[in-house]
Amino acid sequence: MNLHGIINSARSLSYYTKLQNAVANNLANAGSAGYKADRVTARMLAGQTQPIAVNTLDLAQGNIRDTGRSLDVALQGSGFLVVDTPNGERFTRGGSLALDASGQLVDQHGNAVLGTDGPLILHGKQIDIQPDGTVSVDGKAVGQLRLETLKDPGALKKEGAGLFVSDTPGEPGTGLSVQQGSLEDANVDPLMGTVDLINIQRAYTANIDALKAMDSVMATVTSDVGRV
Amino acid sequence: MNPGLRASATGMIAQQKMVDVIANNLANVNTTGFKRSRASFEDMLYETVQGPHTGANDAQLPAMQIGHGTRLAAITRIDSQGAAQATNRPLDLTIDGEGYFQVSMPDGTMAYTRDGSFNLSDTGQLVTHDGNALVPDIVIPPDATNIAIGSDGQVTVSSGTGNNAIVVGRIQLARFANTSGLMSIGGNLLTETAASGAPTCGNPQEDGSGRVVQGMLESSNVEVVTEMTDMIAAQRAYEINSRAIKAADEMMSSISDLIR
Repeated sequence: MNLHGIINSARSLSYYTKLQNAVANNLANAGSAGYKADRVTARMLAGQTQPIAVNTLDLAQGNIRDTGRSLDVALQGSGFLVVDTPNGERFTRGGSLALDASGQLVDQHGNAVLGTDGPLILHGKQIDIQPDGTVSVDGKAVGQLRLETLKDPGALKKEGAGLFVSDTPGEPGTGLSVQQGSLEDANVDPLMGTVDLINIQRAYTANIDALKAMDSVMATVTSDVGRV
Repeated sequence: MNPGLRASATGMIAQQKMVDVIANNLANVNTTGFKRSRASFEDMLYETVQGPHTGANDAQLPAMQIGHGTRLAAITRIDSQGAAQATNRPLDLTIDGEGYFQVSMPDGTMAYTRDGSFNLSDTGQLVTHDGNALVPDIVIPPDATNIAIGSDGQVTVSSGTGNNAIVVGRIQLARFANTSGLMSIGGNLLTETAASGAPTCGNPQEDGSGRVVQGMLESSNVEVVTEMTDMIAAQRAYEINSRAIKAADEMMSSISDLIR
């Protein structure tokens, strides 16, 4: 019996489920600063007869929103800040930074945000961060944020909490600027996300209808053909 | 079960928290020395179905990861200066700049506040409106007529027959390495935590401490317009997440219809 049609429809259903998961996760994170959306696309690979779902990290710039809080840091351009986590160095797009009890610049989980010479200890009244990443306290430069770009951003994996990890080390970032007193919004467009949801749902239902049609054809074949 | 369903649920929970924080900010719009809070969110852990890999014909494929939604990362108090409001009451104080008034709690611990509306106790001591004493102790003599508090925190009164100006004490301010680490305990009071670090006490206008302004109170730094627009955004985001739940639900319902 030829089940290709049914298998194709089932694959499509699994693809649209993945797509729905990705869109739901993107929409849930529409309020997470520095969040980068996942885009799931169907890709036909050479030598294969079926398209497969491919998940691409969309590193497009998010909107920069002014907050006026001096330790809110957003990045403009492609690249990352480097934080020192218990699991090793990780990349992040900035966010709502703070000073810990010892005056060290940390992220929301207390991971040190690294400068070119290691963690940054900031004691003083006025903290200024220049677009090139120079950090000064009360007008005196005390360090430089480590800004890095990746040769192959496709190798990045998300770790949650706005952190990214890559097997290949980063390189000193160029074409990247730091904006103090701002946060980068998630690069998720809620309107497009809602439209995507509708499309996904319709496509999913269409595939189910196709499945039902094929099923009823087969039911006819198995029950009626051969009947005298 | 569809993980997208749970991701959307986390999105709704997050936006609910956002509304909770905004509601508290708005409720405290007229609270002296109140600092607004901001909820921030982050993505949850990812399930890596497949790492970056090489497909057929050496095609390089990125990692396949399923996200599980969002969660509250932090509620950050925004310690920006609130507008000073003139009251012309001699015991109303504002800190212009950094620092906190130190208050001794009934249990002997210290609390910190930006609310400078002080009163006198029955013994003439400067206390908060809950009766907790300002530290270091400042006692105004019963016959004092004129209380002047300088921007350096020096408290001077006129007293005696000749109306001599005498210094009765000096207000000190506490500063912290990480003010967002201070914990709110209600009553406009904050307490020290491991995250805030130990306080550094000093005179106003010295070592980065702000100056003390008499006859003024610091208003809350809540801006109603900002809170309202944030609230609208949170409400819309909540709706969109609920739509995503509905979409996932309908997808699951239509698949279950397949079984006859």
